[in-house]
Amino acid sequence: MLTPRQLYETVLRMRLLEEGVGVAVQTGEIHGEMHLGIGQEMVSAVMGQYLQPRDALVSTHRPHLHALVKGVDPVQMLAELLERDGLNHGKGGHMHLFDPVASFMCTGIVGSGAPIAAGYALHRKLVAQGGLTVAVVGEGAMNQGAVFETMNLAAVLSLPMVFLCENNDYGISVPRRLSTAGQLVERGAGFGINGWECDGVDQRALDEAFSAAFADTRKHSRPTLIVAHVYRFRGHYEGDTDHYRPAEEKETAFRDRDPLLVARRDLVGAGWSDERIVALDGEIGREVSDWFEAARSLPFPDPSEARRGTFVDV
Amino acid sequence: MCESAGASDRRTGAHLVAAVLMEEMRRDEGIVVFGEDVGALGGVFGATRRLQREFGDTRVFDTPISETAFVGMAIGAAQAGLRPIVEIMFVDFIGVCFDQVLNQMAKNHYMSGGRVRVPLVMRTAVGSIGSAAQHSQVLSATFAHIPGIKVLFPATPGDLRGLLVAAIRSDDPVVFLEHKWLLKSRLVELPFNDADSPDSPVEPAAVGKVRRIRDGSDVTIIASGWMVQQAVVAARELETADISAGIVDIRSLVPLDREGLASEALRAPCALIVDEDFAGFGTTGEVMASIAERIPGEVRMARHALDVSQPAALVLEEQVVPSARSIALQAKRLLRA
Ligand SMILES: Cc1ncc(C[n+]2csc(CCOP(=O)(O)OP(=O)(O)O)c2C)c(N)n1
Repeated sequence: MLTPRQLYETVLRMRLLEEGVGVAVQTGEIHGEMHLGIGQEMVSAVMGQYLQPRDALVSTHRPHLHALVKGVDPVQMLAELLERDGLNHGKGGHMHLFDPVASFMCTGIVGSGAPIAAGYALHRKLVAQGGLTVAVVGEGAMNQGAVFETMNLAAVLSLPMVFLCENNDYGISVPRRLSTAGQLVERGAGFGINGWECDGVDQRALDEAFSAAFADTRKHSRPTLIVAHVYRFRGHYEGDTDHYRPAEEKETAFRDRDPLLVARRDLVGAGWSDERIVALDGEIGREVSDWFEAARSLPFPDPSEARRGTFVDV
Repeated sequence: MCESAGASDRRTGAHLVAAVLMEEMRRDEGIVVFGEDVGALGGVFGATRRLQREFGDTRVFDTPISETAFVGMAIGAAQAGLRPIVEIMFVDFIGVCFDQVLNQMAKNHYMSGGRVRVPLVMRTAVGSIGSAAQHSQVLSATFAHIPGIKVLFPATPGDLRGLLVAAIRSDDPVVFLEHKWLLKSRLVELPFNDADSPDSPVEPAAVGKVRRIRDGSDVTIIASGWMVQQAVVAARELETADISAGIVDIRSLVPLDREGLASEALRAPCALIVDEDFAGFGTTGEVMASIAERIPGEVRMARHALDVSQPAALVLEEQVVPSARSIALQAKRLLRA
């Protein structure tokens, strides 16, 4: 389990990264759609301990935190988000980050990452034994046929993959009760896939789920499912007026389900004084602002890059 | 429903769509509206605002993110006698439910020997507003290539209303392409605004007829959707260089007004065909072929479209998505050639 300090640091880094990206949207430095993971940090922070370099991860339209814990270089990622010559030369941007070195990718099409994750898992099964693949989906994506099909496929082929469902109860404006029948974790059971459901701001619960699921998948080369319950602290995208979620619901969540506050409480519980925490905040703050500075020092992509790369040889 | 003049200034294309849907739903009780976020939210662009409040959640409802299921449901419901208006939030998402479009929606009328009708409208937002290759496509030609689907692509506020009414009253499946800029822009700020007063009754527009937006004697710019609005800006710029550019709005890709395209093209010695959709096997080539077949050798033609996905970064996007500036540039190049 991460120490209180490790957890706090990791969550804080993520929070500051996402906040900085949000500012870049407001100032127009980023001109496209933007989905931030604020409120959902603890899931990725805990998962990070169990991910190995030989594992692959396929993420969603809300990908930054998963990218960080999978080992994508934050400066390269930020440069890509800030429309510079970054991870993918400015062609992918926020929803389409590809890092073959870190075995990471994401997609902006809801549910479409799961089948691709199965492909990475097939590769792990056939040639890179011991490695697994994580397919991240939101609870909204759980209603895509592609996800059902992939669960079945992964089960019949015994693919080493973990389906991670980050359940934030909303697909844009549509609450889960209006879109989703039954219990999410039971969807795995229908395919004989072992599932764990947990509170996504409870470090201990997350730890139990990830350690058990990852161990099961690695040991038996078979799929597992984790459903982690979180709250999305921002609108669906930056600029979303978010009138569809009741104000009290948001206030309660901001008070009780903020991963950063929870991690900070644990730090205090472990005997950290205010001064020590402030000092740590400063240290992490400088680290993240250095990332932004380094990313901003990179050039914009050369305009001629736009027409290159449709094919390998063009 | 009359809005004050001050309020009407704030109207966007999305307001027009919502108003048409409201009126048509009052007229025809068989109309049902569904898709992601069309209910309480009223659509991510606001194009279904107030509908659920007005008609309740049996006629206007949100779906799970399950496009295959709800598009298929629209097809079945249409065949059974309802008149569904189904929304695919961004056209790019059509990929996940393409069988329903390609092999069901487009084919069932034909395969049934005419015994089954599929009177549905699939509204979907198209075009580039940033956000890269999976959220910027137009895909007009992808639909137009399939026999059995009508494809309408309004460029102006007037057509956003008139063509939508025509689509809703059509007994064939219609893919109705709503450009994101047209949905989002204030009507008064559009380069070309033919909006009627908000309380004028909506009339179905003629389907399958091109429309001349501007007269010009040096070059005819032929375009669809947002590119028409961009062409209007380009034509003004060309005017300052003493170039007289006419503009023809395609409006309806299927059925395509091939005769109209040819007769419009005859009005100037050159024609520039502009498309935000991909170039290859697409609208630009189809338009050029239609003209060349009818008036061989009469008009010098060039196309302004690319076979490149939309990149994320703005400096790259500007290289790929045609704009007023690039249209003017290409027109000048064509005239010099
Ligand atoms: C196939 C497809 N349909 C619709 C969308 C539009 N869309 C983007 S995110 C989203 C909601 C996704 O909800 P969920 O999977 O729960 O993830 P969350 O946004 O809550 O993290 C929708 C409908 C899309 N990108 N792809």
